[in-house]
Amino acid sequence: MNAVTATSAAPTVAPFAARGITKRYGSLVALNDVTLEIPAGRIVGLLGRNGAGKTTLLNIVSGIVLPSAGSAATFGVPTDRLDTPQLTRLGVVQQEGGMISWMTVRQHLDFNASFYPSWDRKLEQRLLGELELDPKRRIVQLSTGDRQKAGLLLGLCHRPALLVLDEPMSALDPIVRARALDLLIERLRDDGCTVLVSSHILNDVEKIVDRVICLDQGEVVADAAFDELQETYAEWILSSPAGTLPTAYPEPFVLSHHGDARQARLRVRTNEFEAAEKFASDYGAQVQRRPLNLEEIFPLLANSRKDVR
Amino acid sequence: MPPLLVIDYHNGVPAYRQIMDQVKLQIATGMLPPGSEMASTRALSTELSLNPMTISKAYALLEHDGVLERRRGQTLVVRETHGPEARVERIEPLRTQLAAAASLARQLDVSSSEALKLFRKILDEETK
Repeated sequence: MNAVTATSAAPTVAPFAARGITKRYGSLVALNDVTLEIPAGRIVGLLGRNGAGKTTLLNIVSGIVLPSAGSAATFGVPTDRLDTPQLTRLGVVQQEGGMISWMTVRQHLDFNASFYPSWDRKLEQRLLGELELDPKRRIVQLSTGDRQKAGLLLGLCHRPALLVLDEPMSALDPIVRARALDLLIERLRDDGCTVLVSSHILNDVEKIVDRVICLDQGEVVADAAFDELQETYAEWILSSPAGTLPTAYPEPFVLSHHGDARQARLRVRTNEFEAAEKFASDYGAQVQRRPLNLEEIFPLLANSRKDVR
Repeated sequence: MPPLLVIDYHNGVPAYRQIMDQVKLQIATGMLPPGSEMASTRALSTELSLNPMTISKAYALLEHDGVLERRRGQTLVVRETHGPEARVERIEPLRTQLAAAASLARQLDVSSSEALKLFRKILDEETK
């Protein structure tokens, strides 16, 4: 395959950008008016509950699915016109399928390598060892975990500039999973590869991502730097020995609360020290603040569509 | 070998913040003396399995705060600090801990003089 015309995108072009995309499957709206941009050189975590539209979005990035309305561009090229110059720089790891089951891992690697001048045999060899995958096995014989390993190898040995992964490590054991996470960081560090990864395993995601996009029922409910999210959401523990706490909190930044007149646990969308102190003293209480991890922040994002954006 | 950094990915404190706090503490305690070279973003990213962006952010903010400085354009080193503000910075971690203790004292309804007496007693015990 010759890279004919050099339509390589300027560095300022986002690896992926969507403007007002909607995707319908019959009467089902999988994505509804989604606008977002994946900035270059980032690891972006795509979060959402089952059916939130994550896989649809990832399939739109790689051009497997076209939006019903709106415009989507990968490397600056509309996704219905992606061609060799873009596709060779794209790496896709699908949740399942996408592999030719009768081939051995070795045959499949050779098959994929034949499409990509940039295929890195050294990387391939190293990953077979690090991920502990036997190249002589047939795809059809692989366990779910080994199939995910094969998917990772097939998706990234050509050293793509944009790597799109759909639940890539749900079936991996903790040791191999840690190696796979390191691998994504390494791709970014060594090749400047932009990574868009969906996962339910929030513990994994929070180790590597620097941006988070959260989908809920086909809409973007959060699109922010991970640091920013961590610094925005917090838990306040209020205690009032005199029993002065109310039964409800009208403040819009209080997202959830439970407790009684003497103590309460609040999940809030503000993390200013002074705000917490003033809030507590207004209610005649003392306050302790605690940051929230991604597992605790996620439900606040996924369940509060109107508040968060 | 530069002092180790330990990142807790699950406590909700952004990783760049944890790096900043630990580096400041290491400087304050003398683990990282002025002029010491910091690990490169690349090396630290490998060692901690951490996104290089996170490390760049921590280093950039430490540089902005005047804790680190770039020498000969590239190498990042611990800045030499002098004067009273250096001392204030050095005891910053103690201030943070005492602020938490003060808040607890109020919750326990312990008076200032009572709390100070206790702190003095602890200091005396430690130096014995």
